[in-house]
Amino acid sequence: MASTTASIVPTRSEVLWLFRSLLRTARQFTDYNIREYTKCRTVDGFRQNRTLTDRDALASAFSYGKAQLEIAKRQAIVYSLYAPKVKSIMDIKP
Amino acid sequence: MAAAARSALLNHLRVHVQAVPRNPSYTLSFNAIRRRFLSEEVRGSFLDKSEVTDRVISVVKNFQKVDPSKVSPNAHFQNDLGLDSLDAVEIVMALEEEFGFEIPDNEADKINSISLAVDFIASHPQAK
Repeated sequence: MASTTASIVPTRSEVLWLFRSLLRTARQFTDYNIREYTKCRTVDGFRQNRTLTDRDALASAFSYGKAQLEIAKRQAIVYSLYAPKVKSIMDIKP
Repeated sequence: MAAAARSALLNHLRVHVQAVPRNPSYTLSFNAIRRRFLSEEVRGSFLDKSEVTDRVISVVKNFQKVDPSKVSPNAHFQNDLGLDSLDAVEIVMALEEEFGFEIPDNEADKINSISLAVDFIASHPQAK
């Protein structure tokens, strides 16, 4: 209505879509450390913001998440070009 | 002269030919391989439901926030296991990794209990 910040509050399904997309992108990292960090960072970020109710805070958190998703997608491609030659010991299944 | 000798020789020459019986086990295995390729590469195969149930339950039990004693084949993620929608997304992602195929978003949103997850995975030909 009178909101001049033009903040679009994300719906529940949009938030879940962002969460799932971030986790899917995280899986693509070839390096164990980066892959696990991205996963943990995603889960922690959404847990931290799960109680948000303020419209502007919701909108800014969502747009921040979307920007991070774009970065993660780009970096997954860049890192795949410079994949480590040796697997992390955590990736080696007994 | 040479041609006459050749034809005379050919008239009397007999080569004993016997049909070699085909090895039945070889035929069978070849067919088995062909069937395997046709079914699993093209159509995919369905997993046994009890096996799927066991694997789904072990995945859910390994999830950090879940109390393993509460996990049963009919458990509901939110009501019985006390998980929220973010946890449900994480569990579905873990199931994707376990069964090696991707669950589309609209299907993943519907999975909110162990029995639904088992039904979906058991009816999906690409699950392995």
